[in-house]
Amino acid sequence: MEGLFFNVNGGYIEGVVRGYRNSLLNGQNYSNLTQCETIDDVKLQLSPAYGDFLASLPPNPSTSSLANKTTDKLVAEFRYIQGQAVGTLAKFMEYLTYGYMIDNVALLITGTLHERDTRELLERCHPLGWFETMPVLCVATNIEELYNSVLIETPLAAYFKGSLSHQDLDELNIEIIRNTLYKNYLEDFYKFVTEHPELKDTPTSEVMAEVLEFEADRRAINITLNSFGTELSKQDRNKLYPSFGGLYPEGTLMLSRADDIEGVSLAVSGNHDYKSYFDSVGMSGGMGGSGPGNMSGGGGSDGKSLEDMFYQKEMEISKSAFTRQFTHAVIYAWVKLREQEIRNITWIAECIAQNQKERIGNYISVF
Amino acid sequence: MSGAGDREAVFPTRQSLGAMKNKLKGAETGHSLLKRKSEALTKYRAEITRRIDEAKRKMGRVMQIAAFSLAEVTYAVGGDIGYQIQESAKQARFRVRTKQENVSGVFLPQFESYTTEGNNDFGLTGLGKGGQQVQRCRETYTRAVETLVELASLQTAFVTLDEVIKVVNRRVNAIEHVIIPRTENTIKYINSELDELDREEFYRLKKVKSNKQRDNNAAEQEEKASKRRGSDKENADDPGATDILGEQEDQDVIF
Repeated sequence: MEGLFFNVNGGYIEGVVRGYRNSLLNGQNYSNLTQCETIDDVKLQLSPAYGDFLASLPPNPSTSSLANKTTDKLVAEFRYIQGQAVGTLAKFMEYLTYGYMIDNVALLITGTLHERDTRELLERCHPLGWFETMPVLCVATNIEELYNSVLIETPLAAYFKGSLSHQDLDELNIEIIRNTLYKNYLEDFYKFVTEHPELKDTPTSEVMAEVLEFEADRRAINITLNSFGTELSKQDRNKLYPSFGGLYPEGTLMLSRADDIEGVSLAVSGNHDYKSYFDSVGMSGGMGGSGPGNMSGGGGSDGKSLEDMFYQKEMEISKSAFTRQFTHAVIYAWVKLREQEIRNITWIAECIAQNQKERIGNYISVF
Repeated sequence: MSGAGDREAVFPTRQSLGAMKNKLKGAETGHSLLKRKSEALTKYRAEITRRIDEAKRKMGRVMQIAAFSLAEVTYAVGGDIGYQIQESAKQARFRVRTKQENVSGVFLPQFESYTTEGNNDFGLTGLGKGGQQVQRCRETYTRAVETLVELASLQTAFVTLDEVIKVVNRRVNAIEHVIIPRTENTIKYINSELDELDREEFYRLKKVKSNKQRDNNAAEQEEKASKRRGSDKENADDPGATDILGEQEDQDVIF
């Protein structure tokens, strides 16, 4: 039934996004890219997909400018789709941008805290996370003003409310603020896709629930792993875990009590996928010495780290999202796939630029 | 001029000869000492050069790894975290202290790096994703900076040492080629002057002696001649031979 009226509003956009999906680089393209000797060759190989955007680059561009230009293309296409979106889809796309907004706001808060000229920071903000009132953030000179008069006006106000006071902004580490915001955002997004009357029980909610649950789990695991050896206490850590996801609530509880990598491994052992990741990177065997998540460490049997595994999994979920029809989730999946593509290109370009070809195959390609 | 080269402006006296001889001895001792110092320093410099070479090669490798780990961070975090890191770093975790090392009387500065423990300003960076890479990247860069500090220490030592070696060599050469020959020249000059004086003195004495002899001879001759003349006269008419028993009136003897 859900397909009956979907195309009235979403048909065109879905078509466009599927078209975009087809222009993503595939395995063949990637293997061509890895054969390149110089950045110019990379540029040449990318020209069918990114032609217009790379044309203005000087010969032998830096990898960061390459990444910027490829991001520009993503932004341009995203803006186009956003321009077409109506109703729940428009709302859905706004939710997509909130993640980037959180990064931008965190950046600006950092700037304000250190009393820098935040206008310079506007250029560094991710273009997808741009919102109209963002330049206003720069007006605030102290953190109280920022909190009381400016942040309230942003779309993120709801995420600040109730969990962070303006004293917190001053005292807490910016990373904790960022992750608190992100947790609230994920929970809100999850609630939106599962409970909104127009999205409930549609393919959108099914696919997005899977994606977001995975995202929540990934964050919980990563936060736990990364907090070892830092001043982040277990109580604070517990507050950063999203309150849904495959691990919630038992796994999350165990994560909040974990003291080391083995504890994390034990906490996720209820989930077959995560358990197999931990097993394959050899961390459950107590090889924590080299550290999890490092890509070159001796832990991974085939050079893959936990982070790589998560990315791989995310890409697979995103790819399978395209098997469903009449759903907004394809847009999310497309954005994620494109982001991964940009990361892959940057990685390959970096490997070529630094002449470190042995690890060039570390990119993640799902097509 | 006596002595082919330049010499010091001294009066050629025995005293200054003694002083010059002392000076020559001192110069020779100094020369051998400085020569040994210069050799020691040169040896040390060769050692430093070798270590600089090693450190530079190591730096190349380490910097490459460090740059690559930064690429890993970019890949894992999926964005630029530079600003955040810069802002959250409040205190230097990696510090350098200097000390001095004494190599044959030369003070060489040495840099020593150390990390202050428990100073982890951006330990939470990349908490959501990529935190491990950030920490790893920090470690690789710490190693890179360590190598740089080591290299800087060696390079500074090298520059200082090079300067000192130049000075020492200049001194050695100056002593060897200027001071010693000059002192020797002076000694030679004083010697020759003194010899000259000796000879003059000798000649003078001889002259005096010969003059004296000549005078003596002349006096003797004259005496002889006059003696001979006197005896002839006595023989011929001796007016002096008075007849004490004669009739000449005696002079009264008045008491």
